[in-house]
Amino acid sequence: MVNEYFKIVDYGGTLEYYIFELANFSALAFPLLIIYKLGFINTNSFIVWLALFFSPLVFNYFLFSPGLFGDQFMYARELIAQKSTLDSNEITSSLWSSGQINSVSLSAKILGLIPLANFMTVTALAFTNKLILFLTFLWFKGLFKNENENEVLLFFLIPSLVLYSSMALRDTLVIVISIIFIINLIRGRALLPILLLFPLAILKIQMFAILSLYLVAHLIFQAHRGKYLFSLFIFILTIITVIYEEAILSTLNLYRVAFIAEDFVAFDGSRSYQAWNLYGAEDVEALRIQSMFEAIYLSVLKLPILLLMPMPWNWSNIFYPMQSIESCILIYLYLKLSFDNKMYENSEFILLTFILLIGLSVYALIMANEGTFVRYRFALYYPFLLGLLYLARKSSQDTQIFHQRTPSN
Amino acid sequence: MSFLKNIAFKQKIHLIKDFFYDFVLIKRSIYALGISLLFSFYVLQTSTLQFEISATLKEAGFASEDKNILGSSAAQVFLGGSGGEGSDDSFNDFKSNMHSYAMAKRMWSQGWGSKIYGNGDLNPEYFNAIPKKHKTSSKIAAFVLGYDLFEFYSAHDLQAYIIRSFKVSKKRGSSNITVSALKSNKDFTITFMSATILEADKYAKEILIKKSNEVIASTYKQLATSKNSSISSALGGTINSEYYKIGRLENDMPFHIDIIDPPHSSEYPVQPNIAAIIYSNLIIFLVFSVLFSFAQKHKEDLW
Repeated sequence: MVNEYFKIVDYGGTLEYYIFELANFSALAFPLLIIYKLGFINTNSFIVWLALFFSPLVFNYFLFSPGLFGDQFMYARELIAQKSTLDSNEITSSLWSSGQINSVSLSAKILGLIPLANFMTVTALAFTNKLILFLTFLWFKGLFKNENENEVLLFFLIPSLVLYSSMALRDTLVIVISIIFIINLIRGRALLPILLLFPLAILKIQMFAILSLYLVAHLIFQAHRGKYLFSLFIFILTIITVIYEEAILSTLNLYRVAFIAEDFVAFDGSRSYQAWNLYGAEDVEALRIQSMFEAIYLSVLKLPILLLMPMPWNWSNIFYPMQSIESCILIYLYLKLSFDNKMYENSEFILLTFILLIGLSVYALIMANEGTFVRYRFALYYPFLLGLLYLARKSSQDTQIFHQRTPSN
Repeated sequence: MSFLKNIAFKQKIHLIKDFFYDFVLIKRSIYALGISLLFSFYVLQTSTLQFEISATLKEAGFASEDKNILGSSAAQVFLGGSGGEGSDDSFNDFKSNMHSYAMAKRMWSQGWGSKIYGNGDLNPEYFNAIPKKHKTSSKIAAFVLGYDLFEFYSAHDLQAYIIRSFKVSKKRGSSNITVSALKSNKDFTITFMSATILEADKYAKEILIKKSNEVIASTYKQLATSKNSSISSALGGTINSEYYKIGRLENDMPFHIDIIDPPHSSEYPVQPNIAAIIYSNLIIFLVFSVLFSFAQKHKEDLW
């Protein structure tokens, strides 16, 4: 039946679209103004966040078609279905888990909790992402002294973060949950990270696996407390890896083949799993990793590519060169924070970097599609970068306090 | 509760009160609300009413019975899909037929192009010569690059119109197909959608009948030269099954689809959404007036 419930209408880039989304921008700008007036943020933050709140209007429809990130419509449809029928959209629930909660419906549920002026178009969800990111900024900057606010602000201006948070995607949620997880774990507060593992398991299973390892290393092995404990953790990890080699390899191989199959284009122009099933399935054996040594060898070979991609010969749209430059800047930032503050002597840093390297190595093994893995890499790398920023500034604050308390000679 | 003391609630509430008295509860806000109502009225007056026209179809069993189910078991493995590739084939065939040029050509020959681009005259001499208007930018591009623009509307335009207007979708796991469109002229769209659906199905049937006839003709040739009894028997079986197929296709029953809900229109227009436009404009104008007042008063701090 027509008009049985509210359906999402593609307003395209029409005047109505801009009216609806400007209303959403206004709904975010007003509380921002009050927060500034109350002195929670400085003038720079106010101006920058005003611009960031406006950015969703600049990307979808204006700079490019939202079809470039086609998943956006899936989240938007799901959210509209939930808001109008209090029920999940049939497409997403039956696709993954036959009515059980899945990543799309959970993302839509969380994003739908944000009170916005309206949810009329696909871009509305981008504004909810912006607000979630802003609240994270407020929380994160509260961990530092006021003079660090501009530096923290710069870390929220990384182009990929601006881009992904301007889309109706779940990446912002994954990034924010991961940031809260890592920082709280570094601060020695384990309860919240444990609770955050549940949504993370639904939203992004890879991040769940990587951060679970971090939690185990932190809580059970106390690997952040010293080199011996860290060595013990690595030793036990190696033993477990050897014992469960077959299971680990079969999981890795499944994802490796699945990502390659998803990205597969056959000679007749057919694509994805269907084309793979017809023309590519016979090559499966050649793609399988046979041993853990081969996995380590391959990940070492592919890690630089993952860190630096998209490579120039793969640039196919305007974002690729920008993302390529950004990749280098992100590596530079990580190294700069590490060396400027002599973090390499810090056991917490060693564990943090080790877990990041494990995560990146897994991605390096399974990577196929450039665009997808640039997104995956960022969602993994950025929370660890903010973790490092927190660690670096905390350690420099501690040093300052130590010098203030110690009488000079 | 030391952290609550740090927040200094009384002071903050006082600041918020001041903020509202200084920037929100002022004359400018009332003007802004007034202007927003006028602007909303203008937007509503200038926008075109769009009704949702939709039809619900069900995949008919015949099509999938005749097909070899080849296909996406990998997707099933990786995505945990519930299968049903046969019905997906049927849906894809229907969608491809509906959006094909061959289909548009048939619709064009029935005079639908004239109803969309012209005055509805069904004389082919008229509707094959409806002059096509081009944008100035297209004309300049054609002049600069040295190519010719089409002088008259053709089946290509009708094909583009069908693709643009009619969305054909099917929810995964369901056998129902929805054809929907957002149009201002609901009566015409209902008739056109109905005709398009039936013609797409008819076209699919005609193709299959043609195919079966070709198979029968070539099989007869083989049968005439064949001396092996088992091969002759297999060829005979093929001919029988193709005649059976033709028998099932040569009737007025739908082949790919059954029509559950024929095309019909929503009672109220889906676009423009009056409440949403008025409400959104109120927020925009109010907040922009507050931002403007704030920037005016604090320009020294902000710059």
